[in-house]
Amino acid sequence: MLRAPIHRALSLPNLRQLSPALRGISSSPVQLEKIEVFVDDKPVLVEPGTTVLQAAAMVGVEIPRFCYHERLAVAGNCRMCLVEVEKSPKPVAACAMPVMKGWRIKTNSDMTKKAREGVMEFLLVNHPLDCPICDQGGECDLQDQSMAFGSDRSRFTDIAFSGKRAVEDKDVGPLIKTVMTRCIHCTRCIRFASEVAGVDDFGTTGRGSDMQVGTYVEKMFLSELSGNVIDLCPVGALTSKPYAFTARPWETRKTESVDVLDALGSNIVVSTRTGEVLRILPRLNEDINEEWLSDKSRFACDGLKRQRLVAPMLKNEKGELVSVEWEDALISIAKAILNAGNQTAAVAGGLADAESLIALKDLLNRLGSEALCTEHTFPQDGSGTDLRSSYLLNNKIAGIEDADLILLIGTNPRFEAPLLNARIRKTWIHKECDVALLGPKVDLSFEYEHLGDDTATLNKLASGQHQFNKKLAAAKKPMIILGGQQFGRQDAAAILAAVQQLAQSLSASVNDKEWKILNVLQQVASQVAALDIGYKPGVSEIRENPPKVLFLLGADEGTITRADLPKDCFVVYQGHHGDQGASMADAILPGATYTEKQGTYVNTEGRAQQTLAAVTPPGLARIDWKIIRALSEVVGEPLPYDDLNAIRQRLTEVAPHLTRYGAAEDANYFAQAAQLSKSVKTQLASTPLDVKLKELQDFYMTDAISRASPTMAKCVQAVLKQKSSKY
Amino acid sequence: MASRILSQASFNLFKNVSKVSRQASASFSVGPVRNDKIDEELKKVEAPLVTVEPHQSGVTITISGVFFILFQEDISPVTGIPEEHIKNRLIRIFKPARNTMQSGSANTHHWEMEFDTRERWENPLMGWSSSADPLSNLKLSFASEAEAIAHCEKHGWQWYIDQPKTKEPKVKNYGVNFAWNKRTRVSTK
Repeated sequence: MLRAPIHRALSLPNLRQLSPALRGISSSPVQLEKIEVFVDDKPVLVEPGTTVLQAAAMVGVEIPRFCYHERLAVAGNCRMCLVEVEKSPKPVAACAMPVMKGWRIKTNSDMTKKAREGVMEFLLVNHPLDCPICDQGGECDLQDQSMAFGSDRSRFTDIAFSGKRAVEDKDVGPLIKTVMTRCIHCTRCIRFASEVAGVDDFGTTGRGSDMQVGTYVEKMFLSELSGNVIDLCPVGALTSKPYAFTARPWETRKTESVDVLDALGSNIVVSTRTGEVLRILPRLNEDINEEWLSDKSRFACDGLKRQRLVAPMLKNEKGELVSVEWEDALISIAKAILNAGNQTAAVAGGLADAESLIALKDLLNRLGSEALCTEHTFPQDGSGTDLRSSYLLNNKIAGIEDADLILLIGTNPRFEAPLLNARIRKTWIHKECDVALLGPKVDLSFEYEHLGDDTATLNKLASGQHQFNKKLAAAKKPMIILGGQQFGRQDAAAILAAVQQLAQSLSASVNDKEWKILNVLQQVASQVAALDIGYKPGVSEIRENPPKVLFLLGADEGTITRADLPKDCFVVYQGHHGDQGASMADAILPGATYTEKQGTYVNTEGRAQQTLAAVTPPGLARIDWKIIRALSEVVGEPLPYDDLNAIRQRLTEVAPHLTRYGAAEDANYFAQAAQLSKSVKTQLASTPLDVKLKELQDFYMTDAISRASPTMAKCVQAVLKQKSSKY
Repeated sequence: MASRILSQASFNLFKNVSKVSRQASASFSVGPVRNDKIDEELKKVEAPLVTVEPHQSGVTITISGVFFILFQEDISPVTGIPEEHIKNRLIRIFKPARNTMQSGSANTHHWEMEFDTRERWENPLMGWSSSADPLSNLKLSFASEAEAIAHCEKHGWQWYIDQPKTKEPKVKNYGVNFAWNKRTRVSTK
């Protein structure tokens, strides 16, 4: 009889033996006492549950790794991080093993070195020796680690000439180039796809040396964050398709800058060579983009050299735009402006920097005009744009991680701000935060409660009669994110008022007084700075009082057309791309893109950041605020700033936060805004809430730069093709 | 720009610099009194360095009733750097960002300074990158931001600091991949 009856196995003596230990666990209070461990004899105090790899990082010892990534789940399959722990017979995988009290970890012992050498040897047996033609060369973890930790000689002799393992390349779309023979099966791309992107398409098939990473049935990686797997891949299996065979990392100059293609202001590194932007990579910023970047921000950079305006242009008698000298352009524009006097108006587009915004405003104000508008609207009823809290993402992007209930209203963050959506998804996974959406039913890459797209629901929510109000009231840190696109509606004021009142009614039950509830997700990078400086949101004023001269500062959304203007209106377009704005202009002033100027941008959370000049503007194009400064001289109203410092001093005068780079100033007066919103007369219309960017194909081309980008055009085509495929 | 920020930052850091100089007083020249004497005095009296006006270039120290004014060296008149490259340049002091393509953090633990970008163009003869800016390829590394600032101040350059973005430590747990009731459960492999 080998098997004892179950009642005997669970008989009392056994339980009694266990019970003291159990009692000890249950009765002792939860103590987060730090444990002391020794990494290479250096003592370090760590929280319980810290892994060996993290403990080593705390004393500055970097353990080599391939599969482990801080922002992904622990996989523990590459075995590169094996280290010796004293008194342990076998090496332990540092990435997955939590430390125990008093452990002595040896990251440089003979056993550790031997383990690493062994792992490297196995990896290299099945890795092609194609570093000279591999795009990862020079920034390859496998290259570096085989140099640092690998053996100095090879035991690989292919006596039978059977060749190394070879794997068929996969086609996962126009952004990612795959050379699957190079894959070392770290599964980082798989984990990224399923955890961060929320597109569970990648996986492994086969076992042993037949194992393959792929989608099984060939299909495109349909994600707005797909480019990040290129960064994650520690070898050259996944590389950038548009950047293929373009440059080596040591040839390029890296400029740390800020992205402006959505309202988040992700931090980026711009790689350039000979006056050309070659690629854009993300840069770590925990507050905004962590370490990710959306595909548009990453790959639209080839749009920076197409469709560019490279010379000033004026319309001739035939009505054709012809290139002219700067002097001619400035003089004719100055003449028109002096004729018009205070009947000059300006519209600022979504990519304008704060310097050019303030210069243009100062110029027009000096001419006696107050008609400065932004393309994107915001209701002026109630408190309007007077209170900053009404148009900011007040909880900040990183604040999403503290929320326990998120209500999205009229927005599709997945395509409006992909990294914000990635944050929400992260909170949804790791903090069990619940999400609800009021708006069209879209795929947010995670589950959410759909409250419909009816405006009546919003009314019900605001008055506390909806069944979802109970959930909102029970939440400790609720968060409401209102999509900036809804401000384009006729009843925008009523929508904002309803949301403000809903947020205000919840604030009473929130214990944390620092916790804001109302958040607005802006659509474009320039909007917050423009409103801070004092631009009027929306072009309705210009439609009502048609000006004699209209100055478009990168306004390309077509919010104002020739039909809205009188026949003799002189339209000046200043910007970098020949897009909608330039097509209706009488005079064109070529400006600089965000990679070509040192400019200030304020993101949707109110964080001021600056871009740095990576390359020089092409042709005769110039930095935007300098163009306006030059024009002011010709007009005879010279602006009192000559260099970057001086204009930033002026920005500081207007709003000090605009030059506090990296910092996000808190906004307040929620109660007052909600009080004022009660005076809003507008009624909610019955048209359902809608968003422009519903599907992945809508995401790629949304502004002048991405519309000029061939890569983005390819993406749209590829997505449409994939969607029509039966897989 | 933020001359206010600049001056505020320089004010704070100036204090640091002067504290550093207490131990190694090389970077400050002294008016009437010799360096080593001040150091001795400072060792005796652990007085904080006080009365620093943001825009003042000197530091006034009061030690036992005697005023000492320390002036930071300005070597710009003798360096031979053209005035145009002293007055019109803006320096960014920063810690280089890690390359996201790789896991390692080497070459990110020091401070660097770089000048504002001036015009660069592609050389029509060879296609190489050309520039008329002699400082565009100057790459200086420093162990700390205070050292970088002291260097800029010494040369009379305007500077600003780009604060490095740091990582937050996260709890990592292999077990959550297999949690039966959490969203962290991993489906694919």
